[in-house]
Amino acid sequence: MDIFTLAMWIITIIFVIISLIKDKQKTFKSLKIALKMGKAMVLSIFSIIFLIGLVLAIIPPANIATFIEGQNPIIATLGSAFLGTITLIPAFIAFPLVGTLVDASVNIVAAVAFLTTLTMVGIVTFPLEKKEFGLKFAITRNVLSFIFAILIAISMGVIL
Amino acid sequence: MIKKIKNNLFIILVALSYIFLFIFKTPLAITSIKNSGYYLKEMLMIMPIIFVLTALLDTWINKETIIKYLGKEAKAKGVILAFVLGSVSAGPIYAAFPICVLLHKKGASVKNIIIILSSWAVIKVPMLINEVKFLGLNFMLVRWVLTIIAILIFSYIGGKIIKDKDLSVDKAYEEGRVNLNIRACIGCGICSKTYPELFDMENQKAVIKELNDVDQERLDDAIKKCPVNALNK
Repeated sequence: MDIFTLAMWIITIIFVIISLIKDKQKTFKSLKIALKMGKAMVLSIFSIIFLIGLVLAIIPPANIATFIEGQNPIIATLGSAFLGTITLIPAFIAFPLVGTLVDASVNIVAAVAFLTTLTMVGIVTFPLEKKEFGLKFAITRNVLSFIFAILIAISMGVIL
Repeated sequence: MIKKIKNNLFIILVALSYIFLFIFKTPLAITSIKNSGYYLKEMLMIMPIIFVLTALLDTWINKETIIKYLGKEAKAKGVILAFVLGSVSAGPIYAAFPICVLLHKKGASVKNIIIILSSWAVIKVPMLINEVKFLGLNFMLVRWVLTIIAILIFSYIGGKIIKDKDLSVDKAYEEGRVNLNIRACIGCGICSKTYPELFDMENQKAVIKELNDVDQERLDDAIKKCPVNALNK
């Protein structure tokens, strides 16, 4: 567990204790609501997790690297940005991967596009986002994020 | 039944692809499950506290506070707070969903919700540390600054496109959500008399209206009074 997750656990536990001191009944009611919330989301989250597992089995991250390396800059950028949207790779795999790409002097724009869409745009999390926020919100946020991910990548290419 | 399938289409599709894979490509299915392991662990470490935090916020933080700090009028203060909230939190992007839905319900603006979600996804502090390690300080700083500028711009655009009412979708875990068994309902109208803000009568059957702040006691009262137990939580 990293410090930030740990910190969130500690904060939550402190909140629960304060809440208990303030009002026992309200606290138990909140915990019941939390449980209900969890129940309502758990199946969707499990589906997301197993879908990510599936996508990673079909398109292993290493293949993504090979794909980016061989292409011309425009296709590499759009392609990697798109690949970034479907997969969700933990940072500890993504950064070394992107690191190798940059070291191998693969164009930096593609690498950054991949890195940004990886976390910000989510096709696998889209159904859940739609369920929670509505279709319009989910589409608008993801499309805008995708466009700006590419803009960020291009700017990085110019600056670095 | 059809509605149930439609609501759970995504889950069903994922389950079906796994069944299909297990039959025709067992090794690939096993790799997939192994890959999922990391994410499962990540989820189990963060989601329980996310739900507890969200529920506690719901109970203790009142609307005025959220409107003041994250609402439309919060201006720069709201934007900075949204960035900080997103950046210091742990967990994958979907962990931010329940909290953001709640914050919006309590009066946070769409723009600030987008900032929280996006910064939760891309500019988390633990991620930045990792980025320095593998890509260098320069790379991280430039990307960080550019990302913040980008989020500022597109959250503004998003806030203009998306209206508050677009977000009031059917939330499965909404506090005090009530199920109505329409077949059992005999149309007596007691629920709509007990809690007219939440229940209505249509074609001799009860219907549940959209209501943001459900009074639990009155809802419980209505549930208790239903002569055929057609209502339940």
